Amino acid sequence: MKNTTPRRLAAALLAFSLALAGCGPKRPVLHLYTWSDYIDPDLVTAFEKAHGCRVKIDTFDSNETMYAKVQAGSGGYDIIFPSSYQVSLMAQGDMLQTLDKSLLPNVAAHFDPSYTGVILNPEMTYNVPYAVTFTGLAYRKDKTGDTPIDTWASIDNPTFKGRIALLNDFRETLGAALKSLGYSLNSTNPDELQQAANVVLRWKKNIAKFDNEQYKTGIASGEFILGHGYSGDIAQVMLDDPANIGFAFPKEGFTAACDEMVIPKTARQTALAHAFINFLYDPENASRNIQYICAPMPNTEGIAKLPPEYRANPAILPPAEILARAEVLKDLGAANALYSKAWDRIKASE
Amino acid sequence: MKRNAFPLVMLLLVLIFLYLPIVVLTANSFNLSRFGGAWEGFTLKWYAQLLDDRQVWSAFANSLLIATGATLASCLLGTTAALALHRWNSRLQLFHYGLIYTPLVIPEILMGISLLLTFTAVGMDCGLHTILLAHTTFCVSYVTMTVLARLQDFDDSLLEAARDLGAGAWVSFIKVQFPILLPGIISGGLLAFTLSIDDFVITFFVAGPGSSTLPLKVYSMIKHSPKLPVINCLSTVMLALTFALVLASRAFQNLKQPKSLTKGALS
Repeated sequence: MKNTTPRRLAAALLAFSLALAGCGPKRPVLHLYTWSDYIDPDLVTAFEKAHGCRVKIDTFDSNETMYAKVQAGSGGYDIIFPSSYQVSLMAQGDMLQTLDKSLLPNVAAHFDPSYTGVILNPEMTYNVPYAVTFTGLAYRKDKTGDTPIDTWASIDNPTFKGRIALLNDFRETLGAALKSLGYSLNSTNPDELQQAANVVLRWKKNIAKFDNEQYKTGIASGEFILGHGYSGDIAQVMLDDPANIGFAFPKEGFTAACDEMVIPKTARQTALAHAFINFLYDPENASRNIQYICAPMPNTEGIAKLPPEYRANPAILPPAEILARAEVLKDLGAANALYSKAWDRIKASE
Repeated sequence: MKRNAFPLVMLLLVLIFLYLPIVVLTANSFNLSRFGGAWEGFTLKWYAQLLDDRQVWSAFANSLLIATGATLASCLLGTTAALALHRWNSRLQLFHYGLIYTPLVIPEILMGISLLLTFTAVGMDCGLHTILLAHTTFCVSYVTMTVLARLQDFDDSLLEAARDLGAGAWVSFIKVQFPILLPGIISGGLLAFTLSIDDFVITFFVAGPGSSTLPLKVYSMIKHSPKLPVINCLSTVMLALTFALVLASRAFQNLKQPKSLTKGALS
């Protein structure tokens, strides 16, 4: 009798740890590693029902943190949703599986080729595009009046002084300046960058601040008249207040970025992962998912099925002639230092 | 006599910095506006979205499971470590003390990455179990320190008296030492629970597929989620739960007051 307590305690601990280790269900589990709230949960449930599996979603906040974790050996994710430039890095690092195209008939059947120009790896060896987003100018229609907003030069407009927010991201903002000068936003020419930095320095005198998060609030509340921002974010704001908020793609050109689906080498459910990608490319599902995330998946029939208010929203679905002016941000490797140096000079100036 | 305004100013500042953010957060969880910039009307829709959000609840369940497990394990290990440190004063125990103390001072990021490297080196897949191991590792130190502090006030002659009266080592521990140490163990356990449930850095490194905890989920939501106010709702719910727990434990203590008084007289 004396010694039962420690034994019972040990038994309880053992049972607890067994419960922890053994709580995995019999059904296969598909692990997604993606951005927060970046997939329609109803679709996930539908896929679980159709394939008798469970889908577990983990989320990351930046490509860099995701990459750091996967590189450090955190395996077991079946599909990861990185941005295009990160796909290239992961492929170079031999972290990705070559996709089996025969398991992805929907991708072959429904991929919209008009998006080929804005995705970085159009041969799709390792990746299938998930959603394309753009960077442009959001504006308050009620405050800009008759002034057309269709150029980066609007940032210089003195009537908006102190009511403009630009992205606090050196690639995006220097990229906008490079575009306004007619250069590529992947330029590595120090002279061009120098000129671009001078443009941003001039802009800085006319804007309220550099900001990545609050500009949505500022545009929604009318604090800012112009906001340099991501189309997916602005599209959500526009759906709340379509009468007053507009989104413009500057005519000089703008950034496009694509989030892709990739299957890492460490994936356990390769077949199920292919099935999931194929499932998302089904036009009906693609259309529902585009409505949820407010960014287009390049899926011809899926886009055609969108309700009119989504199709009419340029922030969700830019017309083809606008799409042609988009340029994709590439990873510049060592030349990134040029950008961060120019950015430091901008940030340090008064 | 002129009254000094300093305490009043300090009090106001403390109240503003500690509690105003919480009030704003709670208010915003009922705000119709998605961005919380201005009050646009009362709504419960964010709470409805919170109820529907499977990922948040699964992260919440993971957090609770890990915090409970890590608390139990670290209470057990921490108490035994404290007992050993208290009883013996050898060189080995000095070394032991150093080992226990180290996790309190090394940066979390260092601990996170080294744990991840260890787990990968031994071929262990990351998941709930690795988070549990990691949390137990750093929680043990906190429990040990609190129990050790309690042991310093412990009168060893009580144990000798118990042995004199015929109790064995185990019975004298369970019936005499353990009840006196219990408040220390409980406060160490509460500390461990709190630390475990809001740890981000270490968890970030050792989490694997399907084992996201609440802090990981919230962090990724803050940057990219279109349903930001859901976080406000979640925080409000947790706040309400914490208050309820504190009030309940107060009520419970008041009920037991007479009993604990006699115990206090004994020690």
